[in-house]
Amino acid sequence: MRTSATPRSLGWLLLPALLVLALFLGSVVLLFLNAFWTKDGVSLVYFRQIVERPDYHEVFLRTVSISVVVALASAVLAYPIAWLLWRLPRWRNLLLVVVLVPWLVSLVVRTYGWLVILGPKGFLNEALRWLGAIQSPLPLIFNDLGVVIGLTHVLMPFSVIATLSVLLQIDTRLEEASESLGASGLATWRRVVLPLSLPGVFTGIGITFLTSMGAIVTPILLGGIRQKMAGTQIYQEVVYNFNMNKASAWALCLLLLSGLGLMLLRALESALVPKADR
Amino acid sequence: MKRGSISVAGVGKEFGTTTVLNEVDLAIEGGSFVTLLGPSGCGKTTLLRLIAGFLEPSRGAIAIDGAAMQGVPPRRRPIGMVFQNLALFPHLDVFENVAYGLKVRGTPAADIAGPVSRFLGLVGLAGFERRRIGQLSGGQKQRVALARSLVLEPAILLLDEPLSALDLQLRRQLQVELKSIQRQLATTFVFVTHDQEEATLLSDTIVVMDGGRVQQVGTPGEIYRRPASPFVARFVGDINMLPGRIVSLDATSAEIEIGGSRLRLPLTAVIGKERAGASCEIACRPEAIAVQPSSTGSFSFAARVAALHRLGPMLKVTFDTVHGPLTGLMMANAPAAELAENQPVELSIAPQSLTVFANP
Repeated sequence: MRTSATPRSLGWLLLPALLVLALFLGSVVLLFLNAFWTKDGVSLVYFRQIVERPDYHEVFLRTVSISVVVALASAVLAYPIAWLLWRLPRWRNLLLVVVLVPWLVSLVVRTYGWLVILGPKGFLNEALRWLGAIQSPLPLIFNDLGVVIGLTHVLMPFSVIATLSVLLQIDTRLEEASESLGASGLATWRRVVLPLSLPGVFTGIGITFLTSMGAIVTPILLGGIRQKMAGTQIYQEVVYNFNMNKASAWALCLLLLSGLGLMLLRALESALVPKADR
Repeated sequence: MKRGSISVAGVGKEFGTTTVLNEVDLAIEGGSFVTLLGPSGCGKTTLLRLIAGFLEPSRGAIAIDGAAMQGVPPRRRPIGMVFQNLALFPHLDVFENVAYGLKVRGTPAADIAGPVSRFLGLVGLAGFERRRIGQLSGGQKQRVALARSLVLEPAILLLDEPLSALDLQLRRQLQVELKSIQRQLATTFVFVTHDQEEATLLSDTIVVMDGGRVQQVGTPGEIYRRPASPFVARFVGDINMLPGRIVSLDATSAEIEIGGSRLRLPLTAVIGKERAGASCEIACRPEAIAVQPSSTGSFSFAARVAALHRLGPMLKVTFDTVHGPLTGLMMANAPAAELAENQPVELSIAPQSLTVFANP
């Protein structure tokens, strides 16, 4: 039932939304056009490059594997934090602020923080050397490990929030019921809480995987010079080589890979997570 | 002694500065159907959760079959629990829900299917093994919750208002089944409800609670006929309360004045601190009011029919009297029930059906 007729004159309120939509769709169309329509006419030259050049295969492979590792590491590290936040309702707000406070600091600053800690003359290496545990500094940074550490740090809060939001929907009486049926705390977690919280874990994996597929700043600052990810390659094509056609082709491939990854994740989720009726 | 006896001795419970239970003493016989009855906030659910072990008492002790329960977690107590919202595991099907307790106890897989199907049969859900919880009706969920607890054959089953979400008809049906299952298994059932009819229908023993205290313990009949306090009288069944005064007392009887009439009642019918001159409330069940000329010794007075309500075979009549409005209940086919509104009548009440509560 319509409670009141929508005045036609209010239609202009839709304008900002339409504008955003138009810009978004426009840029996607431009991306497609740019990818196929080069200055020599319609051409698949950049796609052929990606298919044929082994160094480019390596970039995409690195992008996918780093993203998978980051997504899994975020999920595993975020779960206990989310669980604690769920278990300690009194402390939930405070702890949530602690989890989210890094987001108040610029991404660049946060990443530089890792330089200070992990660099060859950084805190960790100096401490280990002082303890006599190592002779020469460990290569913790300017390689894939550095990128994984940096991205996991940046993206983990997404996993915490995704997991927590699902944990908060679990009826605490289910735990009591489990306990009244003879289950220990651990058994209750394994048989009730974990299966019911898996959808949140999967959501977190999806978010962190997609975000790290497109990462630029962290791989530039913490990665190796030659160890590019797709995002840094696109950045380089746009900013240094002004090759919009190549950048667009790369972006489309990245989009395709991300979509494939997401579909795989969905398939995995429906195979692993029992359907819970609410 | 039968398995499943519970002793509650001097138990009190505080949440912060709020006292929820006050020095509760209670002995529950093994194998009986006991109802904790009271209005919301009376402490009945708290008492149930104390017995289950989800809460520890602030004072006093709880023992099950003679074994002290202090510090014993719920999973080590010989109890099962049916929750108000049932708390069925939404990610498991009916079979897996019922098998849950056996699985966590490490029962070999071969020994699980037998008990599960036996108890699903007991609650009338044979053939529903592979249904998802979301595909079940309210009554079926109820039965799954019951089977899930009973399959472990606990000495005591605690039920926290499990039927309150169901419609009346289904509720009545499940009450009958619940009672018959309890009789078959001889498990102690401790059932929490705020519905006095439900309590009366199901229980061997009713524990009436209010304000964190046990008000009365007794069979449904005792509680109906001889309520221990005005609260119990009002809470269990319909009741008329007439204001009166205790005129005089002797060793065995009391003389009571109600609206100008005087009655002599045995002292056993007077509850509370009786003293001559005290004001009191006289409780009278609706069915004790008869429309007939006075016979000797009965308490009678003139009245006028104010309203008539037919309740199936019964007739509920509201009378205007010198004592205020009174509700009477009689068989609709009784000759005396030939009543019309505004008709003047003579009412009489047998004195032995009255209970007198002396005001403090």
